[in-house]
Amino acid sequence: MSTDPLRVTAYAVLSALGADRAQNLAALAAGRTGLGPPPFELPFVTAVGAVDAALPELPPALAPWSTRLARMTAQLIAQLDEPLRRARARWRPERIAVLLGTSTAGADSTERAYQTFVATGAFPDRYDFLRQHTFGAVLHVVSELTGAKGPAWMVSTACTSSGKPFASALRLMQAGLIDAAIVGGVDTLCQMTLHGFEALQALDRAPCRPFHKDRLGISIGEGGALALIERHGDARVLIEAVGETSDAYHVSAPHPEGRGALAAMQQALQQAGLRPEHVDHVNAHGTGTRLNDTAEAKAIGTVFENQIPVVSTKCYTGHTLGAAAAIEFAFAASAIEEGWIPPALGAEALDPEILLQVPTSVVRGTFRRVLSNSFAFGGNNVSLLVGAP
Amino acid sequence: MTAAGTVAITGLGLWVPGFPTTAAWAAGTADAEASKPIGTALDRVNRRRASPLDRALADTVAAAMQQAGVDVTTVPVVIGSSIGEAATMIGLLDEMWRHHTPMSPADFTMSVHNAASGLISISNKNRGMTTSLAADHDTPAAALLEGIGLVLTQHAPVVVACGDEPAPPTLVQHAPPWSMLTAAVVLAPFAEATPHLARLRVTLDEPATLPLDRFEPMLRNNPQIGLLGVVDAVLRRTAGVLPLDNGSGRGYRAVVAPGPAP
Repeated sequence: MSTDPLRVTAYAVLSALGADRAQNLAALAAGRTGLGPPPFELPFVTAVGAVDAALPELPPALAPWSTRLARMTAQLIAQLDEPLRRARARWRPERIAVLLGTSTAGADSTERAYQTFVATGAFPDRYDFLRQHTFGAVLHVVSELTGAKGPAWMVSTACTSSGKPFASALRLMQAGLIDAAIVGGVDTLCQMTLHGFEALQALDRAPCRPFHKDRLGISIGEGGALALIERHGDARVLIEAVGETSDAYHVSAPHPEGRGALAAMQQALQQAGLRPEHVDHVNAHGTGTRLNDTAEAKAIGTVFENQIPVVSTKCYTGHTLGAAAAIEFAFAASAIEEGWIPPALGAEALDPEILLQVPTSVVRGTFRRVLSNSFAFGGNNVSLLVGAP
Repeated sequence: MTAAGTVAITGLGLWVPGFPTTAAWAAGTADAEASKPIGTALDRVNRRRASPLDRALADTVAAAMQQAGVDVTTVPVVIGSSIGEAATMIGLLDEMWRHHTPMSPADFTMSVHNAASGLISISNKNRGMTTSLAADHDTPAAALLEGIGLVLTQHAPVVVACGDEPAPPTLVQHAPPWSMLTAAVVLAPFAEATPHLARLRVTLDEPATLPLDRFEPMLRNNPQIGLLGVVDAVLRRTAGVLPLDNGSGRGYRAVVAPGPAP
């Protein structure tokens, strides 16, 4: 059964590659990674994708909510200023939803405040867990900055967090409960996450190399992307379907055959009423860990054989965790709009077990549909099918 | 949004200190022994990993699924929690800043907000959709709206569960404290002729007729009190409009009416 697609009338992206869509695309086209040394001291070596763009201050009334996460979100909203103005004129505020995803929420604020607490016995005066850490804190900021007063929630399913809100928006739109939505996700670098992935022995010491034969793990990044979705209006791209499945296998390891990933991709195609040959490119989850890339490659190979180019853009941005699916939606949408996909960095010597087309130079062509994969702890899988209008 | 479509409630579950089941809650007699959730619904390996919140949510979801008779290997599960695994996060921060010890990989893995939904999915071998969401005091309304969206578009049952542990007092120093609670409902397409415990819709417009002051403050302060209110109203076969938050949210309400007498 196919459903009406979501119409994406505008989108914005922020990552280690740059402050907006143009800067991100310029870096992708040039094959220039955003990965580099961490902006803080760590007791181990790793590369990260840190955002160095200037972030706006929040208005004075929102100062108590001001965090790096909230300011990154405000930067994305600023990119959507004009489309949001049009949407507010077109739709009642209570019919505009805010459906976002994050993995860490305000953990970077809390870890700094907690470090002060451990050292001095007191939290910094301005620290407020309820306004700076909770998942709802950013929802409040987005609602205030955009005027959207419809249903609002933050999905937090680790690395699929910002893919699932697209599915929520599809359902709410189809059920007639909303007319528009601000959908996407944001996540910031935090030391706790880096220490955690180091404990799992999942960090590469060098910038990550998804699908490379010697890949050693992930590089963590930060950033976000937002999409404005409207019932009517000039669509730049469509969200044709979202596959959502579970591995039901292990809390932190993917199923070795990519069972849940395969099911998510097949579900997305089935929802859209399409066959594999209708898809022109896969933006892979491709974290750079041995287990993930092998399992995902098996799943992609089962669906698409070796027929279409597959790239993981995490070699540019790092793994932005709860923001990854939204950022990679933006790259998938750009591939459709611009007619090219970026080269996979560090994949020159492909793992012989990875039987996929992984291009190492820019591929130009017509990309009518792109499938974007995201997989997470808990065995949570999302496949987003993005199409041309 | 004004009012979401009507759905049926076909299963209930809850865990409240002293009241580990809906039967205990309906009987109104607290069991002092039931102060910690057991996590019976989780397999042995995952029970060991699980936080008290994960255990309570797993048992609450299992009870609701059993009453509704849904297929545990396919039914979508929506989990709502305002602060999730904040207590686990404090442990990680202590490892990092206080003890300067390597972080426990197991604790890190279980610090994610979707720990409970992952464990429930693994224990039930459920390869379907599951999600975890948060919206502070509007979490029950958000979880119900996500569930209603699923029911209305997929025309099949969905489990919606919400829960929060007490907020770590170190981090939340100026808010009223609360005790743990979890609550769950199974939502299904509504049809008058199909057996159901109650029908439900979510609204922002109608004044509340069933206040939450029948609950003691330590429960009422929990951001998930709204879903416990729904479970309680259905158990008491009460009709009315219930607040889905304790006054700290945006004012979403649940309109509940009992189904045919059993």
